[in-house]
This record gives sequence, C-alpha cells and structure tokens, in this order.
Amino acid sequence: MSNIIECINLSHVYPEGFTAIKGINLKVKEGEVVAILGQNGSGKTTLVKHFNGLLKPTNGTVSINGIDTAKQTVFNLSRYAGYVFQNPNHQLFATSVLAELEFGPKNQGLANDEIEARVKETADFFQLHSIINEHPLRLSFPLRKIVAMASIFAMQPSIFILDEPTTGQDHGGAEKIRKFLRKLQDDEKTVILVTHDMPLVAEIADRVIAMWSSEIISTANPREFFFDLKTMEKTKLQQPQATALSHRLQKRVLNEGITLTVQETIKALEKVVNP
Amino acid sequence: MAGEVTIPVAYVRGTSWFHKLHPIPKLIWAIGALVLAFSTRNPLFLSCFFLFGFLLIILAGILNNYLKVLLILLPISLSFIVLQSLAPAFPRPWISIAELGPFTIYQEGIYSGISLFLRCLAAVNFASLMILTTHPSDLFTALNRIGMPHHANFMVSTSLQLIPIVQREFIIIMSAQRSRGMKATGFSAAIPCIVPVFAGTIERIQQLSLSLASRAFGSKGLKTNIREIEASLKDYVAGIIGLGFTIAGTWYLIYYRVQLDWSEDALLPIWLSKALVVGSALIFIGTILHFWRKAKG
Repeated sequence: MSNIIECINLSHVYPEGFTAIKGINLKVKEGEVVAILGQNGSGKTTLVKHFNGLLKPTNGTVSINGIDTAKQTVFNLSRYAGYVFQNPNHQLFATSVLAELEFGPKNQGLANDEIEARVKETADFFQLHSIINEHPLRLSFPLRKIVAMASIFAMQPSIFILDEPTTGQDHGGAEKIRKFLRKLQDDEKTVILVTHDMPLVAEIADRVIAMWSSEIISTANPREFFFDLKTMEKTKLQQPQATALSHRLQKRVLNEGITLTVQETIKALEKVVNP
Repeated sequence: MAGEVTIPVAYVRGTSWFHKLHPIPKLIWAIGALVLAFSTRNPLFLSCFFLFGFLLIILAGILNNYLKVLLILLPISLSFIVLQSLAPAFPRPWISIAELGPFTIYQEGIYSGISLFLRCLAAVNFASLMILTTHPSDLFTALNRIGMPHHANFMVSTSLQLIPIVQREFIIIMSAQRSRGMKATGFSAAIPCIVPVFAGTIERIQQLSLSLASRAFGSKGLKTNIREIEASLKDYVAGIIGLGFTIAGTWYLIYYRVQLDWSEDALLPIWLSKALVVGSALIFIGTILHFWRKAKG
C-alpha cells in the first residue's frame, strides 16, 4: 500500500514562539489505523492539524495523497482528510441533524441525489433517523459527538482524523464509536486517532506513535508498544488494564503469550480455568 | 493561519507607559473621551481629538491590533456619512447642496455624517487604548479598591475576560467549519460560527453561575483579593489630568456651542461632498457584498 500521509522533518512554531512539534518524520499507509499517544501538550493535536491543512509547517513538508499541504487550502484538503474535533459543540451549528449531515457534501459541490444518498447511508449507519430533524444543540453531549462524526463520515474522505473520540461517552456511545472505527477499518480508510483511551488503542490500532516533548519517541505496533515499559514510563502512559493483568499473570499462570485486549485475556484465562 | 479571523478587542501584552498605567486613570480617559466626543459636533475638535487618540495608540505599541478594530469599524462609520447626508438628523428645513441621481445631499447631512463618523472613531480610540492595554484582572482589582460593589465589579470583569475566551472559541470553531469544506475565508467565514460561539458562551455562563453559587459567591462581608496593584504618583497625575481635561473640555464645548456649530457653513466644496457620499456608499456596499459573496463561498 502507498503512503497516504508523509511528513518530512516537520516542525511547527506558533506565532508567539512556542515550538509545538519538531523534526517529525512520519509515513502512514493507506488503510492504516494509527493511534497518536502522549501527554497533554506533547504536540499530538498540532501534528494532526497539519494533515488537513489547518496548520501549515513552519519547517519541513507534509503531503497528503502526494499533495503538499502548504500549497493547498483547507477546503481542497477536506476532500481527502476529515477532522472530527474533540468538542462537538465546535462543529455543530445547523438547525437540524439533517442539515449538519448535508453541510459537508454541499460544500463539496455534490449533486442533490448524491447528497441525499450519503445522508441516508450515514443516518442508517449511525441510527440517526429518529433524531434527524432535532436541533443538534438539544441533543445530549455523547449524541452530539456521534452527529459530529456522522457529519464527517457523510463527506467520505479517505483519511479520518479523530481527536479524543470516546471522551465523555457512556458504554453505549463508546460501543457505537468502536463500531464506526471498525467500519472505517473494513472500508480500508486511513484513521488517525488522538486518544488517551488505551483499551481502544489496543483493540483498534495497527500502529502506535508516542509523542513526548514535541517529538515522536516511539513507533510500534500496539503489542510491542504496551510492553515497552521504558517508553510507557517516559511518556507516562499506562497499559490497558487487560494487558497489565496479562503481563502480571504471564509467567505464573498463563501459558500463552501476553494478551492485549479484554477478549484475548478472557480466552487465555478460560484455557487456564478449563484446560 | 491563512484566512484566520480573530476578534481584535482583547488585552495585548506590552511594556509601554500605558500598559504600566493604573487602570483607573485609563478608565477616566476612556469615559472622558466618550463624554467629550458626544458633547460636540464640531469636526475640527473631533478630528484633533481623534488624532490625539491615534498618537497615543502608536505610543502604546498597539497600532496593529487597533487597525484590525478599525477595519471592522470603518465601513460601519462611513455608512453614517451616507445615511446622514440623505436624511439628516437635524430639524428642517435642510439646505440642499447637490443632487445625486434621485437623491439630494443636504449641508446639515454632510456636517452631521462627518461629525458622527469622527465621534465614533474618537471614542473608539480611547476605548481601544484602555481595553488593549489593561489586563482584565487589574481592572477588577482596581475597581474593587475604589469601592465598586463586588457583584457589579465581578460582572464587568467577567464580561471583559469572556472576550479572549470567545476569541479562542471562534478560531477553533472556524477551523472546524473549514475542515468540513467551508470555503469562505476572512470575516465572512464567521457566519456559520456564530451559533456555536453563542451557544457555547451561554452554556459557559450557566456553568459559571452554578460554579459561583457553589463557591459562596453570594455571601456577605468583606471580599479580599490575591492580586494587588498600587497607584503611584504618575497614576494620580494621569487621572487628575484626564478628569480635568474632561470637565474643562465639556464646559468649553457647552459654553461655546454656538460658535462651534458649523452646520450652516459650507464645510466642503460640492464636488468633494458628492465624492465623499459616493465613496462612503461604495465602501459600505462593497464591504457588505464582499462578505455576502464570501459567505456563499
């Protein structure tokens, strides 16, 4: 698969002089799910804002689908990269959920029947028909977040950038988001996740990128990453609970390798209980 | 960010003499400017007053931010010239000085329009000088010291503190809309952002009032402040000059109001009056069309 995102020696210094990211070299393959982890202020959001042109590099280059983002407007890049903001209140402004879903495709200049088809597909997938005429700001916070994601999904970009998708979600909402992420994975969309939700990373991500003090300090698959205790400690990240349990039981109880997700851990424990 | 819009009416860090000045003299100057600007229509006085304020803005090192304020304010102020020239806010009869197609330009209208335009700019100069060089917390503390009721004081300072917060929200919301393919840039891109900004502000105010209530905001008794600012001799002098200038200026403008009323004298040659009205109308209408076109993408 070809590289859909490529950063070469990327740095960004804000106008007030703060260096948010420096010397970033990163390649993301088409269809890959990449989780970007790190403490608050480590540069995660600044990095991903370069992927749809909201920020332009102050040094180095970023290319999306082979297009240099420095030479493109956010409007042009929105065809390729959709960004779901952390706070849905920042995104939603229309008078109904339907109008929210139509906003992006309309901006893309699609024909009416195409817009209608996309809205229907989106509403079906996210089960939004019962609230399609509701005012978005009258919905609960978790539901607003789902609508914000749906509004980007309706634009059908090839890259989805999700900033803290599961924050503030109850179990049902989080499940819906997991289902959404799996669908994107099945559709071979590229997903960039900025998150502190480690179980989600363990379950969904193909690759983990850890940031510390404006730089990338580790790139690995989740299994390798969550057992790289040195990096975990440096970035002050924690293993998912299921992984931590498996790690502790490994030598004494579990015969199999270390497990990553809850499901894997349950299966391994079942083998111990019922050999 | 390219095409990014910020609300320019917020505190700008700096080390100028104005930044260091106590907030109360600055407040006296801003209120004094408002009183003086609205005490006369004399264009010469208002022009001098505007230029004096402009000079202080340059000295305070806030020219760039002030020019952003002016960019928004100028087309609105110019609309006064157009509207007043055609329908003056003066008692009839009006002196007709020129015809402009189906419209008639009146002497009193030109006078009134120019006065309103200069009045607006002069008052905004000093208001900008205060807001752009005063940290909201310093104003809060200073007002507290001179005995302003705690609740009223809190309301004023909270309103001022909301400005940079709303500004930050505006930028984030605009980024979110641009990510959804919104093509508009500049000021017109603000239109789909107004609902989220206001909804967010109302929500924040509701949360703030609950949070205040839960932290005994309504309790009686003396309130203390962690932040302290002391007034020095130069602050007293600046305050007294501001107050003296306001009182003396208001007395002068009222006492000599007849001599300062130039409404019946030809202020400008006819060709210049016409050019001014047409130019102002073009800038005003052009600005509206520009934003409307951009909003439509």
